[in-house]
Amino acid sequence: MSRPDQLQGTLELLILKTLVTGPNHGFGITLHVQEVSGGLLNIEDGSLYPALHRLEKNGLVRGEWRKTASGRRARFYAITKAGDKRLAEAAKNWTSVVEGVQRVMGLA
Amino acid sequence: MKHDDELREEIDAHLAMRREWNERRGLNAADAQQATQRQFGGELRTLEAMRAVHRWIWLDQAVQDVRYSFRGFRRSPGFTTVAIATLAIGIGASTAVFSAIDPLLFRPLPYPHGDRLVSVGYFGPVDSNEFQLVSTQFDWRREQLPFESLTAMRTGGQCDLGSEVPRTVPCYQVEANFLPTLGVAPLMGRLFTADEDRPGGPRVALISHALWQSEFGGDASVLDRTITVDEQPVRILGVLPRGFVMPQLGEVDLLQPARFDDRLPRSQTSQQFIRSFARLRDGVTVQQAREQLQPLFEDSVRKDVPAELRSDVRLVVRSLRDRQYHDLIPASWMLLGAVGALLLLACFNVANLLLARTAARRRELALRAAIGAGRGRLIRQMSTESLILALAGGTAGTLLALVLVRLFVRLAPGSAFPFEKVVVDARILIFSLAVSVLSAFVFGVFPCTERPNPEALAGWRNAGAVSNRLRVILVTAQIAASLVLLSGATLLSQSLSRLQNQPLGFTPDHLISATINARGSRYQRPEARGELLDELETRLSRLPSDEFAMSDSSPLAGSLGRPYSNIRVANRPPLPANGGLVMNRWVTPGYFRALHIPMIKGRDFSEFERASGESVVILNSALARKMFGAESPLGERIDLDGGAGWSSIVGVAADSKNIRIDQPADPEYYRLRPKGRPSYSGIAWFRTGMTVEALAKLVQAEVASIDPSLPVTFGTLQDRVDQQVKQPRLIALLVVVFALSGLLLAAVGLYGVMSFLVTQRTREIGVRMAVGARGRDVAIMIARFAGFCTTAGAIVGVLASLALARFARTLLFEVSPYDPFSIGISVLVLAGAVALAAGFPAMRAAKMNPAVSLRTD
Repeated sequence: MSRPDQLQGTLELLILKTLVTGPNHGFGITLHVQEVSGGLLNIEDGSLYPALHRLEKNGLVRGEWRKTASGRRARFYAITKAGDKRLAEAAKNWTSVVEGVQRVMGLA
Repeated sequence: MKHDDELREEIDAHLAMRREWNERRGLNAADAQQATQRQFGGELRTLEAMRAVHRWIWLDQAVQDVRYSFRGFRRSPGFTTVAIATLAIGIGASTAVFSAIDPLLFRPLPYPHGDRLVSVGYFGPVDSNEFQLVSTQFDWRREQLPFESLTAMRTGGQCDLGSEVPRTVPCYQVEANFLPTLGVAPLMGRLFTADEDRPGGPRVALISHALWQSEFGGDASVLDRTITVDEQPVRILGVLPRGFVMPQLGEVDLLQPARFDDRLPRSQTSQQFIRSFARLRDGVTVQQAREQLQPLFEDSVRKDVPAELRSDVRLVVRSLRDRQYHDLIPASWMLLGAVGALLLLACFNVANLLLARTAARRRELALRAAIGAGRGRLIRQMSTESLILALAGGTAGTLLALVLVRLFVRLAPGSAFPFEKVVVDARILIFSLAVSVLSAFVFGVFPCTERPNPEALAGWRNAGAVSNRLRVILVTAQIAASLVLLSGATLLSQSLSRLQNQPLGFTPDHLISATINARGSRYQRPEARGELLDELETRLSRLPSDEFAMSDSSPLAGSLGRPYSNIRVANRPPLPANGGLVMNRWVTPGYFRALHIPMIKGRDFSEFERASGESVVILNSALARKMFGAESPLGERIDLDGGAGWSSIVGVAADSKNIRIDQPADPEYYRLRPKGRPSYSGIAWFRTGMTVEALAKLVQAEVASIDPSLPVTFGTLQDRVDQQVKQPRLIALLVVVFALSGLLLAAVGLYGVMSFLVTQRTREIGVRMAVGARGRDVAIMIARFAGFCTTAGAIVGVLASLALARFARTLLFEVSPYDPFSIGISVLVLAGAVALAAGFPAMRAAKMNPAVSLRTD
């Protein structure tokens, strides 16, 4: 069982990718994804949180309460070693995932 | 689980930040609030989803998995049925066998702390179990070294109950501390006191629960009632708990005090054979108890055992379980091993089915993975399926086990394996459940090694390499396991056939025995017993039969021998000491004719010798060889029992089985019973075409005319032979059935895999045939796979059989566990089954139409 899954939930992948740039809270992640994808991927804010908590439960991110720059209390998430590893592997396999999905969709 | 407030706070923080952000983008407060709401979606739904991550994820998914599994099973009913049926066979057979051998190997004995109970005593060539002497028991009780308590019972017997209908019941005489040592309290009433266990004490008894019910209707007023036992008034003190059995597994209806007499001289008490049991002191092991007792034992041997027999006896201290089931333990493990192998075969078959199914579902799995199911999730899904299959198979198997147990009882009623007494209780159900879960693990692990491959989404079939290797391993393992089973079955069958077809030395069929015991006050005097036997002989010999004779004991019934060294031969040096024991029987003229035991030398006894009062003896061949070697013993004069008087040897009879049918005949001599010689039991032998029932009427009428109160028991020598064949026959039969079931499973497994491969390689076969390969070549190509699996499996199987063979040794009669013939036969049978299973798919491949096969997929 050394090989990890080749396929990942897309949203979780995006979250991990965002956190590579540094710890962030949920709202910050939303902004980042929106910004980087040029508004193409506009996720509903609420759907982010179950995904974040799932990642935390699986040990891929670590969350803690901290103060934001403006002094507000928010929960910050940081990517863990396991998360880094998972991200690297997922990125490597991303192409084949896309290809597979494209075939199913009859796009290839 | 996360605290709900914390989740709430996190969402509120998000909403606040978003609202600020919206306001900063220039929206007024109301619009910013509205936009924030819209962007976030349902707050409550989000909150619930977050809670689910922490709380319900496991259970939710489990429910999902179960539902999904059932949907899958409904979609492929064929697969589901075959898988469940296969598992039911494996689990059912295992449960049935386990339920019978559980009390033998694992279940605690039915006495509190039964593992602290031991059986102690002498072991000698007299009996197959250890025995004790009353004198020795007295010595050891004084010392009590390793024991918390030491107790004894007289060897069992029958008691006559004198109610309106005279009835004979199994009864035992035990010491007052017998039940306390076992830890058994009476259901009602009280135990014997030490005073009641003294010679001349009041006559009292405990009765069994069964007797209480049948004879007294379960009436509580039975206590203190007086009944007649063996013509004596006996007061009932109490009732034994339901289902009580004696520690040597004897059934019992009546317990009376043993009343050993310590005032008797040692010469008498050392002649009384009893059985002794003890409870070990806390912390003392059986081994330590034996060591502590050894010096005491040696002391007792010097006092109680004749010098010439001393080297033949040794001390035995062994656990009660060992005492009870020692003889059955190898057979139990054999049966357990056989069902274990069968279960493994069943699991491998289901594993193969699952692999084929996984292959067919590859696209489905890949799709699930693509939409976000992690590998762990998929494995959990597949494990759920395996577990559901196993539990369904386990349930069906448990029901099947109930049927199988009944069937086993029908096959071998009254066999030593307690199939009759099987009760399906929590223990058995837990075993069945455990076996099911274990099976799920064994067969479920194989499909999990497959990984969902996105390429499978494209419908490419190239991803099967891993599972093909697995299939080869599975089929090879199946062939190996079924070969081990088969060779066990052939060995046992061969052993059984040799046991059944060996010459016994007598002809058991059409030979009926009528046993009369001269018990009771009328036969206290030896003269009365002698007269009774004379009278019986006269009257019974007049009944119609081809041959008639009487003896004082029966072969194959176990009887005490006399020391070999007691025999003296006139004008010859004394026989060596330590020659063991010699069986002996008093017979009337005609005994050898009645049993069809041929005379090798000399002649049979005659009425003339009897009339003349001459003392004559016939040796069996084993004793003649032992005493005289190649010389003829005819005419020699011998003293049989240390000064009992001289007899002439008039003949040598051929050996006939006298102890057990699986052992060679023991040395034995026969003496001509003179008129008037008393003995406690007389056996009348009739060689006749009559049925036992018909003859019994005649015999009973004759016996009743002498003494109507004398009980007669009828039997045949064939019964005794059958009794001894029963257990090996049952074991052989069961192992053969398991082996054939295993072979069937292996063949079905191979057939399935071959068919799968042919389908998988349809395109390749099409190409080959299109470029000129003939059907034969294709068939050979396919058959090569079967050949490989079979050869590898057979090699592993033969090696495993040889490695396991020594465990079967004690179960085999005149067959070597390494018998090449048996292994050869097994390999041939296996090869035949494999050829059949592989033949059809190979032929199908050969008959493929290339045009059609190229178009598939």
